[in-house]
Amino acid sequence: MASKWIPTACGMCYVGCGVRVLVEDGVVVKIEGDPNNPQNQGVMCAKGKSGIMNLYNPHRIKVPLKRTNPKKGMYEDPGWQEISWDEALDTIAAKLDAIRDEPQKLYVQAWEITGDCFYWSIAFGSAFGTPHLMGNASATCGKVIHPVEFFSGGGFHQQPDLHYCKYAILVGTQFGLGARGAFNHITMDMADARARGMKVVSVDPVASHAGSKANEWIPIRPGTDTAFALSMLHVLLNELGLYDVNFLKHKTNAPYLTGPDGRYRREPGSNKPLIYDAADKQIKPYDDPTLRDPAITGGGEGGRPTFELLKEHVAKYPPEKTEEITTIPAATLRRIAREFGEAANIGGTITIDGVTLPFRPVCVDWAKGPQGHAHGFHQSWPLKLLNIVMGAVNVPGGILSTAAAGKRPHRWWPEGGTDGMLEEGGHILPLPHPKAFPGRTPTKPFRIDLAELFPLAPHFHTLLPITAQQKERFGLSYGVEMLFHMPTNSLIGSFGDIKLVESFYQSIPFIAGFGVEINETNLFDDIVLPFPSYLERADFVSGTNLLMPHCGKDDWLWQIRQPVVEPAPGLRQPQEVLMELADRVGILGDFYRLLNHTFRLKDAYALQPGQRYSINEVIDRMTRCWFGDEHDLAWFNEHGVIRIPKDVDEAYIGPFLDARLPIYLEHFLQRGDELQGVVSQMGLDWDLSDYKPLSEWMPCPSYDAIKKGQYDLIAVHYKLPYVYGSFGNDNPWINEICERTPMAYNVLVNEDVAKAKGISDGEEVWLESPATKVRVTAKLTQCIHPQVVGVAGHFGHWSPGMPIAQGKGINFNQLLPTDLEHIDKISTALDHCVEVRLYK
Amino acid sequence: MEKEQLAINVKFMGDLRALLQRRTLTVTLPQGSTVGDLFASLSGNYGEPFASRVFTHSGALQHYILVFLNGQNIKDVGGLAAGLGAGEVEIVMLPMFEGG
Repeated sequence: MASKWIPTACGMCYVGCGVRVLVEDGVVVKIEGDPNNPQNQGVMCAKGKSGIMNLYNPHRIKVPLKRTNPKKGMYEDPGWQEISWDEALDTIAAKLDAIRDEPQKLYVQAWEITGDCFYWSIAFGSAFGTPHLMGNASATCGKVIHPVEFFSGGGFHQQPDLHYCKYAILVGTQFGLGARGAFNHITMDMADARARGMKVVSVDPVASHAGSKANEWIPIRPGTDTAFALSMLHVLLNELGLYDVNFLKHKTNAPYLTGPDGRYRREPGSNKPLIYDAADKQIKPYDDPTLRDPAITGGGEGGRPTFELLKEHVAKYPPEKTEEITTIPAATLRRIAREFGEAANIGGTITIDGVTLPFRPVCVDWAKGPQGHAHGFHQSWPLKLLNIVMGAVNVPGGILSTAAAGKRPHRWWPEGGTDGMLEEGGHILPLPHPKAFPGRTPTKPFRIDLAELFPLAPHFHTLLPITAQQKERFGLSYGVEMLFHMPTNSLIGSFGDIKLVESFYQSIPFIAGFGVEINETNLFDDIVLPFPSYLERADFVSGTNLLMPHCGKDDWLWQIRQPVVEPAPGLRQPQEVLMELADRVGILGDFYRLLNHTFRLKDAYALQPGQRYSINEVIDRMTRCWFGDEHDLAWFNEHGVIRIPKDVDEAYIGPFLDARLPIYLEHFLQRGDELQGVVSQMGLDWDLSDYKPLSEWMPCPSYDAIKKGQYDLIAVHYKLPYVYGSFGNDNPWINEICERTPMAYNVLVNEDVAKAKGISDGEEVWLESPATKVRVTAKLTQCIHPQVVGVAGHFGHWSPGMPIAQGKGINFNQLLPTDLEHIDKISTALDHCVEVRLYK
Repeated sequence: MEKEQLAINVKFMGDLRALLQRRTLTVTLPQGSTVGDLFASLSGNYGEPFASRVFTHSGALQHYILVFLNGQNIKDVGGLAAGLGAGEVEIVMLPMFEGG
């Protein structure tokens, strides 16, 4: 019997853990974590262990399919007919050719982040010439965290420094306990941190995996994170006087002087923001070499420092006032603020590898939860501010920016720019990062996702189902003619109100895309292309270690994915399919130009116009270009991963960053004024009160609906560690876990509330939102805020192509009203807290 | 004496291909012109819809605008001050990468 262990990368979620796969006579019989891979250090989760069942899923599609039923709908049988690759690609190429001179009519859903395809399909769409490229999956997640992190930390995401942190507050996230990048690595770091005494406080409407393991769970009313954060800031700044003065003076815009209009006072001529230097009582530009003691309080005729404005502003949010909003008792908030402030060790230092650094062992971490609101930007931003005022950003113990800087195999580093502020984010690939500072100039939209009306946002797709219904209202003269998508199930995961989404998909004349199995998105396809299992794929990028690796001094890594078994007959590598399509529509040279740029392929390693390559030849060029000829594809196929040690300044970039961080978003004023001019010209009555430099708490529509008594509960979504998108939902092992755990297929309801309604544990009831009503099974628990209904995972499948998943659990997004009132005017996040009724 | 003229082949990719409704363009500029001069000429031709997307408020290129001069990224050859010669200029407007 031929038996072999083969190293590769897991693909059961976006993390991409290093695994070793035992193959016997060409059959995968076992998957283990690779102990040499820093991404997961040998550990695996339930999703990864069950990957073998995805590979041998009998419901996978292995040949191209075409639709024979022209009628499209959620419950329409497409009438699939098997076709050849030639026919499939000919059909798709002909449709692309038809819109070649109007490339904006192509919409590409590019989200396939387990491997290369995210970057390849973005390059494909750009080479074709469409601006409509959707580079994410969720209607909320990532909308705020990435733009905020790039201008206030330097990298793509954030992580508590679990190696040194002593007090971590998790707001609307299950970091290290139920979710997030580098999950299996940070889960072990989290366990170690808790064992050495780090306190974890979970502020969340639901006590799921994070809340149940935290030292303290503080239930909060959904959509009130701003009020919580501003109140914490008030106690720290005004009641306790606990903040890092030195950091604020020298590393933030706290001393920048402002006039009565809230704008910076600027030096005539240079236009540089001004600072009052208390050392010589002179007003100087922020970068004056004689500046010694920037004043962050006080202020005279020269203007008021932004820190003074912040202190005054947060005083409007005393805990007694915010208790009415958040339901967090004032005494609890004061205690948490004091514990947090005292644990911050302001002024303390630590020496690591001979380098002395500030030591601030506290942080507030947040992710999906606070972003998903009608005012999602301002629900999230003041949470980051809590770290900034404590000086706990990119220093040991504090909040760290992921993958922000590195020296090997290339150098990348965040940089300062406009007004001396952090402007250029750091990323190993030379692609434009999501950037909310200083923003773009708003203008009349050409794009059908209205990107031009969201000058501080990088994501826009949540607008599409809305604008498809109202093109004329926004002055748009065209719609989507063709959708090309990766295998992600966007129909149920990327938008809200399912009836509106169905209508949007029905409005698109031609849809083609990849599918692993026939999911709900594929039900609307005209052509389906089979997508290989991750155990059959080859990828240079094999997860999110380049975006969200573990932080701190542990080694970084680069790994590739290699097929451990021969792909099933009829399957092709998706990158080769994209090259074939690009060749057929005459954009192969442009596609190569963008791939060469994206993957830093230069000189002899660059892809050459007119040449065709296999994916193995491409990856071989990439590995040799990045790591030297000795590290070719054969080397990676044997070893799987290359470990890359980090220096102290790469792990803790804060003290080495030549830029200031914001505490005051002055540029919001100018962008808001410009946008007001454009929307007024367009006759749009938009409320732009989110364009303010200091966050205010503004209620979500659900908050007002509850107050009015129209509904009595708010539904929220939360994550499960054994579910990622639809990836494993038709996997029998994952299904077994979901059936044996009480929260997966049921909805959580507070026990006392349910009993008052006469609802019993396990009873079937109606869950009704303004968008739809669905039948659910209630799970009664004390681990949820009394005003909240908790919906987990990404279930509610109806596609016959997913027979194991079909009819189990519910799809949360379908409950969400989808209109401009529910879209954050800064970030385009769709409000994910929705008013509901629960009844028999 | 009038300066000798230079014909520059410009190729658009990304958003600009759709926005300008063209894939290529030939621009005639005086010998000695720079990439910055080319952008000034394009801004003149295509007006606010082009300029508002391409330039920052301070007049620099937006971070999502990528320019290749005969295959070389202009960041490596002098940026907007890079001199134009015979050959091709590729101007790409890339999407910001996302996540979530």
